[in-house]
Amino acid sequence: MDLNIREGEFYALLGPSGCGKTTTMRCIAGFEDITEGDIYIGEQRVNDVAANRRNCGMVFQSYALFPHYNVFENVAYSLTVRDLYRGSYGKRVKSFARLMSRKLGKPPKELYQKVMDALQTVELNHLAERGVGELSGGQQQRVALARALVMEPAVLLMDEPLSNLDKKLRNTMRTTIRNIQQEIGITTIFVTHDQEEAMSMADRIAVMKDGEIVQQATPTELYGKPLTPFVADFVGSSNLYDATVIGERQVKINDQFVVHTNGVTASNEAKVLIRPEGIKILRERHESTNVIEGQVTMSTYFGPNIRYDVNVGEATVVVEQEFEPGIPVYDQGDHLFLHIPEERVLLL
Amino acid sequence: MKEKHNKTRRFQRLKNWDSLKLLKYAVIGFFALFLMIPLLSVFIVSFTGEPVNLFGSFVNPEILSTNIERLSNASFEHYANLFSSGSVYLSALNNSLLLSILVSVIVIVMCLPIAYAFARTAMPFKKTLAALCTMPIIVPTFISAAGFIIMFGRTGWVTHVFNTMLGTEGAIFNVYSMLGIILVQVFFFFPFALWPMVAAFKIADLSVEEASRNLGAKSWSTMVFVTLPLALPGMISSALLIFTVSFSDFGTPIILAPDGLNLIVVQAYREISGFFNWAGASILTVIMVIVAAIFFWLQRLATKGKDYGTVSGKPKKVKLNAKKAVTLPLFTYTSLVVLLPVLTVFSVFIQSIATTWGRDLLPRGFTLDHYATIFTRSTDNIMNSIILASGALVISVIVATLVSYFVVRQNATKLDFIASIPLVVPGIALGIAFIQTFNTAPLQLTGTAFLLIVAYAIRRMPYMIRSTMGSMMAIRSDIEEASVNLGASRLLTLTTIVGPLMLPGIVAGSILVFVTVIKETSVTILLAPSEWAPMSLMVFQNILRGQMYTASAMAILIIGVVLILQLVANRLTKNSLY
Repeated sequence: MDLNIREGEFYALLGPSGCGKTTTMRCIAGFEDITEGDIYIGEQRVNDVAANRRNCGMVFQSYALFPHYNVFENVAYSLTVRDLYRGSYGKRVKSFARLMSRKLGKPPKELYQKVMDALQTVELNHLAERGVGELSGGQQQRVALARALVMEPAVLLMDEPLSNLDKKLRNTMRTTIRNIQQEIGITTIFVTHDQEEAMSMADRIAVMKDGEIVQQATPTELYGKPLTPFVADFVGSSNLYDATVIGERQVKINDQFVVHTNGVTASNEAKVLIRPEGIKILRERHESTNVIEGQVTMSTYFGPNIRYDVNVGEATVVVEQEFEPGIPVYDQGDHLFLHIPEERVLLL
Repeated sequence: MKEKHNKTRRFQRLKNWDSLKLLKYAVIGFFALFLMIPLLSVFIVSFTGEPVNLFGSFVNPEILSTNIERLSNASFEHYANLFSSGSVYLSALNNSLLLSILVSVIVIVMCLPIAYAFARTAMPFKKTLAALCTMPIIVPTFISAAGFIIMFGRTGWVTHVFNTMLGTEGAIFNVYSMLGIILVQVFFFFPFALWPMVAAFKIADLSVEEASRNLGAKSWSTMVFVTLPLALPGMISSALLIFTVSFSDFGTPIILAPDGLNLIVVQAYREISGFFNWAGASILTVIMVIVAAIFFWLQRLATKGKDYGTVSGKPKKVKLNAKKAVTLPLFTYTSLVVLLPVLTVFSVFIQSIATTWGRDLLPRGFTLDHYATIFTRSTDNIMNSIILASGALVISVIVATLVSYFVVRQNATKLDFIASIPLVVPGIALGIAFIQTFNTAPLQLTGTAFLLIVAYAIRRMPYMIRSTMGSMMAIRSDIEEASVNLGASRLLTLTTIVGPLMLPGIVAGSILVFVTVIKETSVTILLAPSEWAPMSLMVFQNILRGQMYTASAMAILIIGVVLILQLVANRLTKNSLY
């Protein structure tokens, strides 16, 4: 597989569980040995660089905070360790003492300031002296982020960072993380199985399946022009059909109905993707191409939108319509007409 | 470019080689030097009949040639002698097997009602009785044996009461006999079997029993045909455990075995300390290890897949039998069983504060002189105990922490196996192996405190590892990865993150090591140099010399220290002894 992530980019690795996205990230962090290929961070080839020298900040799925340290000590860890390895003899002894117990010395001013700045970034400076066990899930997440950021890593790696949070918190954390990333401009790789998360946060997304990258693209490209049915299905909800090409820009879907399309394909058989929100509902019969008649089998109300499952012959078409007061709402058994614009009929 | 890569790669390889791998080899080296090689050389000597200096062979060609010559004389001759009829060794083995079998059978039968009472009934004073039923195993066996002498000896107070009541004369039974040894072992080892049996009774599927009762079975027939068979694996495993404990026990037989009664541990001790008979001592050592290993293996087999120690899953609500007709007899029975060990310790205590105590129920008067004596004249022994136990503790903390780390994180199963070998090496056997291996140059360590400390550490290593392994497993591996990710090497991670997180397990484990080292007799007697005699050796020697008063005072001190430390350890691990 070939990944090229630009500096300052927010890059998401998206895929179902077991597709190898976490392994990819662990390879970058240096926790897995790679059998072939090279990994470069900037100009440096890091294949043989030990994990503790790669300067990749990582936010773990479980946060992996050190339970015996308080918030400040957790964030200060990387800097203290750096002093331990690189400082003068006296500094080394002091750093080690501080790692063993907070009672054995105060952190130097410069280090203190850096840690507090990092905590400021995640708005946790008031909780510096708290034990990590006393924090809420969202706060722990932010400590983990500050801990990774404070070492000014070349790359920030995040492994499903939002999966342990409840839905509401997840939405705010999404914005928080995205804002911080933009502010610092740090290259970030983000692993997730949640397409919504990837679409809303990332500059570019790589969709992975069985250890391979299926498509690398910006969120809009990915949604609008999925390369394979897998990507189409994984990114957003979709109507996916087997189709036969029956003429100039005409396909027959599931042997049920014929639609016109902008797409071109070389073969006679194709997969057709129609996004549910691309289909318009007509109140009355309208003799035109790409208008079909169907019967509602299920009607589901989601608040901002309504979803209809419509039977067209023996095929099911899922339609999503934005809800506005005044628009007609159809019930199970109602007949209606669907208009599928040519440009929304994608051939894969 | 390529050259640069090669360079960094070589540099990297050196870097990877550093700290942790080095430590792993150090740990393996430790076990090789102080466990595998001693056992191996004892095994070789059991065939050659003459000492073989394995370390010497590596440094000195002359020694090597002598060794090769001796090896060429190796034969089964000594083993053949062993199995010839009328051999001292054979009778020692037979007696030991008989003793251990009798002790295990008696313990299991004796514990059955008590286990049932704890697991299934609302017996009164359950908590107090539970504490009393745990106490016996913290008493070193040579002290219990001494207590028995104080009670049942010819001038013992129980003997006196018995004779006055019945108008008879002489002892009720001879304490210095097989019977005496059996009684001490039964009443002081039974907790080892009791608590696993209680767990087995608790865990046996209640719904099956309910079904049986539902089908019309009377409660006694449910007990005999359903409950007992369900608890059977637990009972068998307990019996095998008791067998191993009784077989390797040195404290009781060395005090109570009469001249005519040959037991394998005592015989081995005599061979090495009296006659320096390498062949005999080695053969007995090999046999002891083999017998202990077989029974240990059988015990593992019996408990395979059944962890009675931890009750997991859905705890079923047990309906406790509260019928007075059941609980009162069980209460009386349990109290009678614990009465003997309690009285034994109490007798030692009375002896320790008695001015003189002859053929009477009570001593003539009471005094604290004996305690004053041990605190003035025997401070050395007390200090020695503390220093030796601390030394053993430091070694076992370091080694056990590393072993748990390598086993849990790097799946070092072979290391796990090696580290658990001491479980099947009786103290006397380890002592003999050490003396045999380290009594000549280049590693002449016999008679040094260092070797004694290492012996203690090796012997208690499996217990320490069990304790540290538990807390190691509770540490998620991503916490370590986080530390590495933040720039710390594996070694620094081990010291700053893993170590502190393992602390509760380490502390609990080290207290147990400290306690058992203070109690330890077999290794001490064989290896302790006179200037390093610890408390236990002093008690032992005083008992043999008949100085019962000071011995008792020191014994009470040991029991007190052990009891306090044990309570602290239990508090830390939040579970009971067994």
